[in-house]
Amino acid sequence: MDPVRKEEFDSGACGSLAPKTKACPRPKPGEAAGGCSFDGAQITLLPIMDAAHLVHGPIACAGNSWESRGALSSGPSLSQYGFATDLNDSDIIFGGEKKLKESIDYIAGRFAPPAIFVYSTCVTALIGEDMDAVCKEAADRLGIPVVPVNSPGFVGSKNLGNRLAGDALLQYVIGTGEPEPEMQPGVNLIGEYNIAGEMWDIEKLMNSAGIAVTSRITGDARYKEIAWAHRARVNMVVCSRALLGLAREMESRYGIPYFEGSFYGAKETTYSLRQMAYLMNDRDMERRVDRLTEREENRLAQDLRPYRKLLKGKKAVLYTGGVKSWSVISALKELGVQVVGVGTNKSTEDDVRRIADRVGDDTEYIPEGGASRILKTVKERKADIMIAGGRNMYVAMKEQIPFIDINQERHKAYAGYEGLLRLAKELTYSLANPVWKLAASPAPWDREAPPYDR
Amino acid sequence: MTVNRRKKPAAVNPVKIGQSLGAVLALQGCYRAMPLIHGSQGCSAFPKALLTRHFREPIAVQTSALQEMDVIFDANRNLEEALNIVLSKHRPDIIGIVGTELTDVAGVDYQTMLKTYKRERNMRGGLAFAVVLPDFRGSLESGFSSAVEAMIDELIQQVGHRGSRNVNTRQITLLPGSFLTPADVMELKEMISSFGFDVISVPDISTSLSGHLLTGFSPLTRGGVPLDSMLQSLQSGLTIAVGGSMERPARRLHNALGTPYKVFSGAMGLKATDELLHFLHQISGEPVPLRYCWQRENLLDGMLDAHFQFAGISAVAALEPDHLYSVSGWLEELGVEQKALIASYETPLVAGMEREVWIGDLDDAEVLGKGADLWISSSHGIAGAGRIEAAFMPAGFPVWSELGAYMSVSVGYRGAMEWSNKAGNLLMRREAERRESSVRHR
Repeated sequence: MDPVRKEEFDSGACGSLAPKTKACPRPKPGEAAGGCSFDGAQITLLPIMDAAHLVHGPIACAGNSWESRGALSSGPSLSQYGFATDLNDSDIIFGGEKKLKESIDYIAGRFAPPAIFVYSTCVTALIGEDMDAVCKEAADRLGIPVVPVNSPGFVGSKNLGNRLAGDALLQYVIGTGEPEPEMQPGVNLIGEYNIAGEMWDIEKLMNSAGIAVTSRITGDARYKEIAWAHRARVNMVVCSRALLGLAREMESRYGIPYFEGSFYGAKETTYSLRQMAYLMNDRDMERRVDRLTEREENRLAQDLRPYRKLLKGKKAVLYTGGVKSWSVISALKELGVQVVGVGTNKSTEDDVRRIADRVGDDTEYIPEGGASRILKTVKERKADIMIAGGRNMYVAMKEQIPFIDINQERHKAYAGYEGLLRLAKELTYSLANPVWKLAASPAPWDREAPPYDR
Repeated sequence: MTVNRRKKPAAVNPVKIGQSLGAVLALQGCYRAMPLIHGSQGCSAFPKALLTRHFREPIAVQTSALQEMDVIFDANRNLEEALNIVLSKHRPDIIGIVGTELTDVAGVDYQTMLKTYKRERNMRGGLAFAVVLPDFRGSLESGFSSAVEAMIDELIQQVGHRGSRNVNTRQITLLPGSFLTPADVMELKEMISSFGFDVISVPDISTSLSGHLLTGFSPLTRGGVPLDSMLQSLQSGLTIAVGGSMERPARRLHNALGTPYKVFSGAMGLKATDELLHFLHQISGEPVPLRYCWQRENLLDGMLDAHFQFAGISAVAALEPDHLYSVSGWLEELGVEQKALIASYETPLVAGMEREVWIGDLDDAEVLGKGADLWISSSHGIAGAGRIEAAFMPAGFPVWSELGAYMSVSVGYRGAMEWSNKAGNLLMRREAERRESSVRHR
């Protein structure tokens, strides 16, 4: 069996480059939640830490969104700057291309970044700004890459934005640079954004098995390493189906095999590391991976013992985007937590299939419907905890339901063996917190019997 | 005195926030309300995420989820669909349709569409209004005040000319500006009502975003001023607006109903609070309650204690215009040198200030404020403050780097004292850290 190729499953995926059999669902006015394509493109590219990211449009797109993600950097921080052309009325009437050109020059002159990414927004797309031309002209003049990212918010969902960002990398970045000659060829991690430093845990594992990372696409990345991504031996698509197209295109262009994997849960982590070594076609490496994963799994089993006891039989409702829904289920299962409800709003058919492989028949699927719908499942299934993104955190607090944040704004890393232990601890802290009892008990005067003088 | 701009083509680390977010904030202060943003999905997702992070509360907002083809063919079809769903599923009392840069550049006429919609469906009982708020103008503050203005317009229209106005001189309408925290609004309501007035705050975030455990979650807003009270506020004998941006809605009430109004540009610091309490004392004929006399003493004593700390200290502040005006007045009273004042956009209030004001971003704060000891801005400023080695004091919007920011008080004597102590403590800690780092270990 060849585990690499699964085209027949993926052709319908929302994020794939293959001709679609089914279009991405249209967001429903009055019921839609979640970000737009512009948001998605930023999620993918902002973790390129040393590059400048310039938003071409009126202030809201940049002003309301900069510094909202938990992607960490081990050094450069230019990507954490909020750059915007901040168009006003007259810019829109007379065109903002001149301002864009000047902004690029200004950023290049003052911050000397290795590259500048320029994002289009609804308004600049609507008034027909020729961003590609401005970027090309600026790149030629300044001698640094200026990459146009054509992903205005109104073209579609966040997923599509991830994919469009991947397209920009393929078209303008990957294959434009070469690694240092002494660098050992290794693996590209695609779609891992170093949220809360997860990438660092993963890299530590890979290093101890002797697997080199060629490029991080894009968690804690530097621009130049993405330029040489075509020199990798293997691509791993980590939890981001939207970038499958990128992996597939790299396979056909550069002959790099790819696989989809996850680092949530010990089993998934072990599988991913094994898969890397297998595709690298290196017997020694495979043996090293086996030794490492065995050692780590044993140690983890020891460390997890006290938490497992407490978590066994607890019920959780999981509501998170796309791939994370199935990969987190594995992690929770290993801790003995039963997933009684799972969100499938952003999942593809393939994701849903994988979810089905991992949960029991009585698990409820939550296709869409936002906070009220999730709460309904929590109540009906008597769940002990809700696991979702930051936007739903305070919804859970209002209903006094224990909560764990699993999305991009969070501050805890849950990847790898270390991450699973951390997840077990967080679940325990959350469930055992004294506040739940305190909040549920009334004030003493509300507890009193009515006055007797009646 | 003067308003300046540094010459540079791009905004670097903006202070400015999209206007539509201000409107969403204003609507959070109304009971059972739903802001409906007419734009693409991100236009509602970003404000929702940002407001949630700041207030640590669920935020009610919906979107017409425009996509490319909708904008080209007929964006209002989406709006109609969204209205249908919101009305049938949630039955809100108040709907505010908030336009965005996208709809306004595309030239979508949603105001007329709403009128037709209301007529055709014979919508009664609720309040539905539309407000034009492109993001290429103004900032959070103007979005907030424009939304309040549109809301008041609609209230006036709905009551129309039926019946004569029954003026209640013991009732005051409070129009609190966007820079006031829920705790600030609460404090102002208490101050005014302590002189024997009934206060109706429009909007009222003090009962919706102040952290409460009302029964469970709702997709609509919880708490805030109910529609009944808003309609009743039209009978008020006086309007008190806090913040220069709230003058326009106050004037609306004056022009339509003849309600006199008084605008306080700010209510922070000794002088501003004196002015407010003195005014309330004069119009009510009641003595200033004892607790404020005590608070005044407390504040002055606190300022005396703290003045050693503030000696020779300089500050840089980057905030929304009204807020900047207030904070600048407070710094003045502490004797702190104001190295640079940066506003997100220009308003008559900041243009009329005696000090030099810059219209700009946090990068300007970094350049112009070089050497300052204290940095006051939203949480976005942490890195910049670190780079110029100033003590960082989070204020304004958004603040995610500390708990309970939405419950901190800045108005009244109490607010000035809280701020003075907070700033003083930050400066003390900074001094201690510097001393530590200068100690040599062998």
